[in-house]
Amino acid sequence: MKKIILRGIIFIIIINISIISLLFISNSYGATEEIDSQFGEAPVIDGYIDISSQEWNKATKVQIDLGGSPPEGLPINLWVMQDNSNLYISVQIDLEHEYHNTTEFVGIMISNSSSENKEDFIDAKIVQFSNISENQFNYLDYYINNSIFLNDSDYDGDGAAKLEDSSSIYEFSIPITSINGNEEDVLLDYGNGYAFNVTYGKTPFYPSGIIKSTIILINIKSFPTTEQPLWNLVILILSIIIFSILGILYGFYIYKIFKLKEKIERIKR
Amino acid sequence: MSKIPKEPEKVLKKRKRYRSDEIFAYRSVIISAILGGIFYIISLFFNLGIITIFLNQSVLWTIFDVLIKVIVILLFFLFMITSLANYKELIGKPLDWKELFLLIGFSIGQTILNPWVFIFTLFGLAIILIYLYIVQEL
Repeated sequence: MKKIILRGIIFIIIINISIISLLFISNSYGATEEIDSQFGEAPVIDGYIDISSQEWNKATKVQIDLGGSPPEGLPINLWVMQDNSNLYISVQIDLEHEYHNTTEFVGIMISNSSSENKEDFIDAKIVQFSNISENQFNYLDYYINNSIFLNDSDYDGDGAAKLEDSSSIYEFSIPITSINGNEEDVLLDYGNGYAFNVTYGKTPFYPSGIIKSTIILINIKSFPTTEQPLWNLVILILSIIIFSILGILYGFYIYKIFKLKEKIERIKR
Repeated sequence: MSKIPKEPEKVLKKRKRYRSDEIFAYRSVIISAILGGIFYIISLFFNLGIITIFLNQSVLWTIFDVLIKVIVILLFFLFMITSLANYKELIGKPLDWKELFLLIGFSIGQTILNPWVFIFTLFGLAIILIYLYIVQEL
């Protein structure tokens, strides 16, 4: 009798674990890449990377696949950078010209933490082409509530895109600790990591138009402190002391030289 | 006829030459000390960071900046050691290790804000000291 009860309990536990595991899978994604953002000069958000002005040269550059490995996945170049006020993300997609859809888009969905649970992605920044051949696009800012994309009352950040030859370049600028931020946007803060879902689609419907996506974890670097380290201050003071002592000794030496002159003249006489 | 015997001409010539050497040595003490002082002031401006005209422009300018700082310190050392050695000679004493180390210490002390300046100055001082040692020995 006891054996039957024990088997029953083990059976129930296994069933429970299986169900809970299934729930976890449906509600979360797996981060493929962890990126440490680097400080650099702010790029112009125009969908064009100006190499002559060394735009994006300090960015962390990675190559990832959206939606799994090729041939199912879409390989993209992802560049991440930050300055004192914004996080900058550039997505570059290399496709044969005919494979670029007229209304393709790239979206960045932002989690309010490093959590990759679906419900934690509450903010979406999208650059949507309305006519890719004429480089016409719109920057959209959405608030996500239960997988429903709602237009933000105030658009936060900026975005732009451009198709050049076979490469479509998307650029995003997302404010860090924005004072204009509200509950419709994720407030990114220095020194924290956030999950970003990079998405790609061909039709301007969200989220149904999303056909490829991958989650990445971006660590935003701490704001550089302007405070001078104590050690630097000590060395500076030491240097001043050395120069001061040297100045005093030099003065004393000049005095001794003049004294010597007097002595020489006295001996001459 | 004078009771005091006249000094022989050879001795007089020798004394005259000694005096002219003395004047030359004293002039060398003064001029070297002034030049040392000028390079001390230039070093003060550059090595203490009062003048930072080449700051963060490019690698080439950084090298140029380090080079100026090193050369100024080495010239300071060179002129001061010349002046000090001549001064000691005038008072009839040799330049001892204590003074030499003090001068080396103060020259190195000027470099503590920049590790590159420190390394190259140390290298330059070593070359100067080796040179002076060889010149003295020959």
